[in-house]
Amino acid sequence: MTEGDYRHLYVIMEQEEGELLPVSLEMLGEARRLFDDFNKKHSSNEKVVAVILGYKIKEISKKLIEYGADAVISVDSPELRYVRNTIYTKVISQIASDKEAAKKIDEEYAGQFKRPRYMFFAADSIGRHLSSTVLAELESGLASDINKLVIEDIEITHQNKTGGKPLTYEKTLEMYRPDFSGFLWTTILCLDNRNSSIERDYHPQACSIIPGVFAPIEADSKRKGKIIEYVPTIEEQDLKVKMLSRKVIRSKVDFDSHKAIVSFGRGIKDSPEQNIKLIEQLANELDAEIGISLPISKKLFSLSPALDSKYIISDRVIGTSGRKVSPMLYVAIGISGAMQHIAGMKESEFVVAINSDENSLIKNECDLFIKGRMEDVIPVLIAELQKQKQVIQS
Amino acid sequence: MTLNIAILIKLEPDFSEGNVSYNTDGTLNRAETKNTLGPHSTIAATAAFYSKVKYGAKISIGTMGPPVAESALQQAQQLCDADELHLYSDRIFAGADTLATAELLKAGIQKMQGKMDIVFSGHRASDGETGQTGPQTAWKLGFTFLGNVVDYEVNLQNQTIRAKRLIRLQGFYDVIEEIEAPLPVFIAIDPSYKAVFNNISHRLAYEKYQKEARLRAQNYKQYLKVFNAAELGVDSKKVGLAGSPTIVYKVERIPKGKANRQAEVVDGSNAEHMRKVIARLQEAMSGMVIK
Repeated sequence: MTEGDYRHLYVIMEQEEGELLPVSLEMLGEARRLFDDFNKKHSSNEKVVAVILGYKIKEISKKLIEYGADAVISVDSPELRYVRNTIYTKVISQIASDKEAAKKIDEEYAGQFKRPRYMFFAADSIGRHLSSTVLAELESGLASDINKLVIEDIEITHQNKTGGKPLTYEKTLEMYRPDFSGFLWTTILCLDNRNSSIERDYHPQACSIIPGVFAPIEADSKRKGKIIEYVPTIEEQDLKVKMLSRKVIRSKVDFDSHKAIVSFGRGIKDSPEQNIKLIEQLANELDAEIGISLPISKKLFSLSPALDSKYIISDRVIGTSGRKVSPMLYVAIGISGAMQHIAGMKESEFVVAINSDENSLIKNECDLFIKGRMEDVIPVLIAELQKQKQVIQS
Repeated sequence: MTLNIAILIKLEPDFSEGNVSYNTDGTLNRAETKNTLGPHSTIAATAAFYSKVKYGAKISIGTMGPPVAESALQQAQQLCDADELHLYSDRIFAGADTLATAELLKAGIQKMQGKMDIVFSGHRASDGETGQTGPQTAWKLGFTFLGNVVDYEVNLQNQTIRAKRLIRLQGFYDVIEEIEAPLPVFIAIDPSYKAVFNNISHRLAYEKYQKEARLRAQNYKQYLKVFNAAELGVDSKKVGLAGSPTIVYKVERIPKGKANRQAEVVDGSNAEHMRKVIARLQEAMSGMVIK
């Protein structure tokens, strides 16, 4: 690869009917922080480019610059009002390969531009699939569900990538991905093949980013940036999917209007059915909504259909792959305290943990740690709460 | 005409209690954990079976994996009464990332009998969890990709499909979209999919095919074909490690964050302690926390 072939960081925004999804500004914030360091370190001037597709979205571009973009590529068309995978993939891929657009972003090296150096998508219902198909079209590497990013020069010795020799890969994006347990971090790299028998470039280095992980930067109305109104080639054959109807639905799980949330995790394992019933009673006494940890949503236990369909659902998951909550009281029952879960509840006002293991991570994340088996502790709590209610009523 | 359906499945660690084993540090103990047909693959097979019952579809199932992965094919066949089982197995397939896996699965689907009208995959694997392989395979096949599908009906006459998709807009509301698309399509089925059979003829067909599926699964080897790289005709530079743009650079324990709160530890078996707990809970609920 030659200097100038791969430049800039393209961040794919998501919006719904003209309103940005929170993850869009979170990704821009992290892109800004990474590239401020990157440009300083390399005395370069590469750009954070927000790419936004939709209909009647012209207003949004200015906001994206205030939140950290150096340039915005905006595509406004009635055909792009709703995300349809084929046409969105084609348009984003066109943009990512477009020398003219790159020239409008920055003249330097623009004649050589082949692809962005890096690309970010959101790891949600839309971005997960879109990132997959865009990177299949661009034939490069993609890591999913990332919650930490670092750019470094890395020495690699790899049978396939380097033919077993040590080689330095400059400006490599280290993409950190927490595994399903929440205890392990896997770092994924997208690397060109420099082994002569299978030599080829793999750019952009791309990933999808977990919503709710990164903070947006503070908006600055004085920030300057370029807005590029992009006109893509749209072919009839890419518009085969017809939208017949679209209906907004709101979850029956209501974490926002309850003062308290009671959550449970793998610790229910000794008698799942009975323990969930106990937790249900406790939640009832506290007028609390019920949440679950991510592992629970994987249907680890055989439960009666009534409990299973009510509680073991993704709507109840609290954490990076679910909802973020901030009640006045959060009761974590049998939850070990994996980072993914903590990210979803750390803003709670007062946190109580019920756990038999005093070494579990949740102890660092709670105000009150009740050491004991939930089978023993919860009935006592329920009895006390009921007793007090009677006192008040009498 | 017959509706041709393919399902892509995966053998995964069995996360159910009693089968899963964790190391003391909380990570999965792969050596001790049993394997099974992945839960999302199970839903994909169920969704395909709906087409068998309703439209008399012919079903083929494919998977990439070591020889033991044929047990997942057998399990899936029992769920959907498949006519054809494919195992793509070769040492050079190992270590593939999603792009290289998609390249191989595309080749596999093209070896199935008949031109596919619908390909089903699960939403994501429960171990890898990327959710990328389905859409990437769809793109390589040139099939319209429909993700998060919770319901579908095929119009055989017009060769079209109507599908409902559940889109979760994190930080917003959820949306149910109803779309129509010409076949062929590639569907990643949503975890909340449920097949519903409303009329008697469908329920009878359901019984009949289920019985047939059980018999077939008992003799699944009769339906099984195993393909290596040469038999699939894939370019060895495009599959396995050689065809993967990404590598796993390192795996580490996520470092313990510094304690964000100072926990007061109380003894759950001490009645006096527990009365104090109640008082604290009520303070918290009334917004009068004193830390």
